[in-house]
Amino acid sequence: MLAPLAYGVVALSAVLCLVAVYYAFRDRLIDNLVVILSLLLEVGLVVQMGFGLAGVGRITDGAERATYIAYLVTLPLIPVGTAFLAIKEKSRWAMGSLAVGAFAVAVMSARLLQIWNASA
Amino acid sequence: MPEDAAAPRRRALGGPGVVLVVVYGVLALAATGRSVLQITEYFDRAPLAYLLSAFAAVVYIIATVSLALGGRWVRVGVVACTIELVGVLVVGAASYVVPEAFPDKTVWSHFGAGYGYVPLVLPVLGLWWFRRVDRAAHEPAGDATVTS
Repeated sequence: MLAPLAYGVVALSAVLCLVAVYYAFRDRLIDNLVVILSLLLEVGLVVQMGFGLAGVGRITDGAERATYIAYLVTLPLIPVGTAFLAIKEKSRWAMGSLAVGAFAVAVMSARLLQIWNASA
Repeated sequence: MPEDAAAPRRRALGGPGVVLVVVYGVLALAATGRSVLQITEYFDRAPLAYLLSAFAAVVYIIATVSLALGGRWVRVGVVACTIELVGVLVVGAASYVVPEAFPDKTVWSHFGAGYGYVPLVLPVLGLWWFRRVDRAAHEPAGDATVTS
């Protein structure tokens, strides 16, 4: 797992979350900025999954390894799902769902980093 | 599940329901992935905990689908949320009273503390939302979709 990439993913998902919250308060729908941020986050998560799975042997604790692999594999599905819902839903709640998804990505990525650093 | 044309349309995916779908979806994904690995890799370590995790994951998937589809799935969603609420309360209490029965954590252990107590709050929100959807569908006039 590339730690700098993981920190970048956490930061990017935090930015996306803040932008989505701002948009929700301003009653704005999905636009190019949100799509680009979601795409960047998606690319980061897919690359992170590749590097993370390649280095899974470093985590020896079984329970932590289960969480680590599960989070790595499921994380890339979140931005895709929330962006799809945000396009489909034509109300401020679309941005609410995007914000919740981005927040979940930030928390789960931080947990990945915690597991990775603890196994060093 | 087929939609009965004569039945009132209960559309759950709309307004706050979208946010609930995302939260349920994330929990379903995380719980499913984790429980699959637990059961396939080291089931003997804590069979009860891992079976409960898998059961919780299935309940979350059903609740997510029910929220997304609405219609007749609303009833299924109410049952799923009720099972979920009972599960988190019973397993949460049991994990404090008989901790030796849970050598490894489940999503419902300690009332969902490992997931920021989201598993404890979520079924309450889900039941509240399904109730709103059901009420809106039985209103005499207007759109049955709950959007705010």
